[in-house]
Amino acid sequence: MQVTLQTLVGGLSLGAIYALIAVGFSVVYRTMGLVNFAHADVAMIGAYAASTFYLTTHVSFVLAIIISIVVTGIIGLVIERVLRPLENKDFDLMLIGTIGFGTVLQAAATLIWGTTGRAMPSPISSGPLDIMGIRIRTYDLMVIAVTAACVVLLTLFLQRTKPGAAMQAVAMDHEAATAVGIHVGRSNALAFAIGAGIAALAGGLAGPMLYVDATLGSALGVKGFAAAMLGGFGSIPGAVVGGLAIGVLDSYAGDHFQGYSVLVTFLVFTVAIMIRPTGIFGERTVSRA
Amino acid sequence: MSILTSKPALILLGCVAAYLLPYGLNSYSMHVVDIAIIFALLAIGMGLVMGVAGQINLAQVAFFGVGAYTTAILTTHSGFGFWTAAIVGLAATVLVGLLVGLPALRMQSHYLGIVTLGLALGFVNWITNAEITGGADGISGIPVPPFFGIDLADEYLYYYLEIVVFGLALAFGTFVVRTRLGRRLRAMRDDALAAGAMGAEIPLLRMTAFMLASVYGGAAGILYAGLIRYVAPETFSLGNMFLLLAMVIIGGRRSLIGCVVGAVGLVLIREALVDFAVYAQLGYGIVVVLMVVFAPTGLAGIPRRVREAVGRRRKNDDVRSAELGPYLPGPAPAAQVPESGADSGPALEISHLTKRFGALTALDDVTLTVRQGEIRGIVGPNGSGKTTLFNVISGLYRPSAGQVSGVGRDISRARPYQLSLAGMARTFQNLRLFSQMTVRENILVVLDRSRTSTVWQYAVWPVGVLSNEHRLQAEADRVLKEYGLTAFADAHPQSLPYGIQRRIEIARAMAGRPSLLLLDEPAAGLNGEEVGQLSSIVRSIRDQGVTVVLIEHNMGLVMSLCERITVLAAGSVIAEGSPAEVAATPEVIEAYLGDSAPADIPVHAAPEVP
Repeated sequence: MQVTLQTLVGGLSLGAIYALIAVGFSVVYRTMGLVNFAHADVAMIGAYAASTFYLTTHVSFVLAIIISIVVTGIIGLVIERVLRPLENKDFDLMLIGTIGFGTVLQAAATLIWGTTGRAMPSPISSGPLDIMGIRIRTYDLMVIAVTAACVVLLTLFLQRTKPGAAMQAVAMDHEAATAVGIHVGRSNALAFAIGAGIAALAGGLAGPMLYVDATLGSALGVKGFAAAMLGGFGSIPGAVVGGLAIGVLDSYAGDHFQGYSVLVTFLVFTVAIMIRPTGIFGERTVSRA
Repeated sequence: MSILTSKPALILLGCVAAYLLPYGLNSYSMHVVDIAIIFALLAIGMGLVMGVAGQINLAQVAFFGVGAYTTAILTTHSGFGFWTAAIVGLAATVLVGLLVGLPALRMQSHYLGIVTLGLALGFVNWITNAEITGGADGISGIPVPPFFGIDLADEYLYYYLEIVVFGLALAFGTFVVRTRLGRRLRAMRDDALAAGAMGAEIPLLRMTAFMLASVYGGAAGILYAGLIRYVAPETFSLGNMFLLLAMVIIGGRRSLIGCVVGAVGLVLIREALVDFAVYAQLGYGIVVVLMVVFAPTGLAGIPRRVREAVGRRRKNDDVRSAELGPYLPGPAPAAQVPESGADSGPALEISHLTKRFGALTALDDVTLTVRQGEIRGIVGPNGSGKTTLFNVISGLYRPSAGQVSGVGRDISRARPYQLSLAGMARTFQNLRLFSQMTVRENILVVLDRSRTSTVWQYAVWPVGVLSNEHRLQAEADRVLKEYGLTAFADAHPQSLPYGIQRRIEIARAMAGRPSLLLLDEPAAGLNGEEVGQLSSIVRSIRDQGVTVVLIEHNMGLVMSLCERITVLAAGSVIAEGSPAEVAATPEVIEAYLGDSAPADIPVHAAPEVP
């Protein structure tokens, strides 16, 4: 029982990272219909940037993450600008284009930071908590708390602020949004910057949990996308639930199947998504002839 | 125009060049070329599944791996001979390909991309950790493939083996693309829904696409195992998957030759920049992004784009100024009239049909009967359920309750392709022509009435496919001529004026020789003259024995053309009868005009009157 709960806790903290990846991905997807396969590589850049500032310039962990959010936000703006002609048009090409961007970001990371990765120390020095025999790392708790705060803030932003409402409007109908005076391009750019910023947050938080190298993106990304899909593409609550689900699944698969955890995770995911392709919170759309 | 003998001189030249190539290469270059051919094979498979069939498959490199690893494991662990292992390896790859393709039955586009990518990651995870695959070290000591005493350890001689396999694979791929299977695959890529309604069995086609990809992937894997005689996980990593994707995108995913050019080109460039691998990666990443934005059809698509840009004034005007030819009705009754009870039974019988979408009831207890050889109009305000009715009849939607029978049987639960093959044809309100195919190919897709399951012919008896092809081409010429479209045969529908596109859609529907034709707003967007032509075409179609049901908002056309009219409002039939009867029904007047103002709907007016 304790082992099971221990696995659950471990899964939730990693799941919180997947959830953040999925949330950033979903913000972009729902706003402009862009499937950003480079999203996780943006997170990887965020992880590198955060670790660089944290380790070499010795700024505080929070400041390091804020700087990396700004850096990736700019990268996000560039990606959005380049792929703008394809938005809301050709999903397949956009997917390939963002994969191309991902390749570029990986190569750039290797050029800047080299091929050997780096381990990032935990910014919180206090020891793990012991609750009813389950050891919980304080850093894990912090990750979960930050994720929760981020999701709440994002939801408030989307529902309570004017730019957030504009983004929702663009998501529903970008032509109608233009007609009522919303600058769709600017709104999309903002959405992309927010998405990239959340990716950097995810990457920065993942730094101390995983090993930071150029392939961190692939490791985080495919599971983050899977999380977004499992929750229902474009749904924020879905992204959170999907992320936690993938994290827990991953954690159990790691316990029971050791080396084969990735294989098991994706096989289970594939079966789950075939049973319900629209995900947990996704709506079934009717194809019109 | 023959399919495979076009440009025979070029093909011969290519063969001679391929034969002479090794004489000019040192052993290292030979090795690089051997690798390039393997990637070219992989790229052809990728082009077939992604460019031709439109299925995003990011697991191609896993197919490559299954072929290579199966061969490696069977030869080193189980003591199989190389070629026996190769055959088992190919079978295993096809099996894996079909399994990876299963999700395509439920999802498409980026969804499919993520699932296949996840499965590819799972495969790499497995070969990196499993004992039988040698873990991260991989498997070495794969035996040299024996070949009638020829020493295939010599990479020069191995080249000839590869080039023969490659040549056959390319020829077969081209054959598939240009004949009926390829047309159906491309139709599915352009518009899966319309392709289904034209007789293509979509699930089977998707699986076929994945099977083709896996055959090419497996063959490449086997050749790789025989050439390198060592396999390790990094060859099948995501990095190489994206490299392969780059090859296909840069070369041009819709052209097999383009895929080959992209593959060979990138392998050579990668070798040239082997000391600057990261810069090479950066470079091809940037090129992929630029290609996607500026040249989505890749290098292979550039000649056509240039031709179009240069000849826009001259050549395109030829097509644009070409007159839509007159409609020349076919000599004999074209319809395949059902054998039994052709005179007595109704062409279409709908009883108590209800269709709900969640809480919305789009069709509510609709009952209507259409006689053989009738022209039936269905009218009603927007949102009254007309198109939903067509979608239920043509099998796109399942009815929530009630029965539909037509084309000689109960069709309440029939699939669109079954209905198409049984003699039902339809057009679409918002024109669903296959945009990346020529007008002739659009027609050919429907002329092919074979079941998709006959694809086995491609593996067993390709000659049968080819002879069938000549017949189809001749029929296509006849249909094009009949509908006055000969001048536009090789144009893409999107480059043509709207009225012509409407004509193409009717021609395409009629190419299947249906007994029941459903027209969804055939006059929308047509000018007065074109409406007149449409009217005579529909009459002529009926005179050939075809029952026509049309949805139309142009009341002038409906009143003059249709013998009986059914009026729908809010999902229910509110009136049915001759045009005059319907126009006098108070409910109809109310539904159209909102109150019981005097009837002002023209009866037997000229078609031009809107």
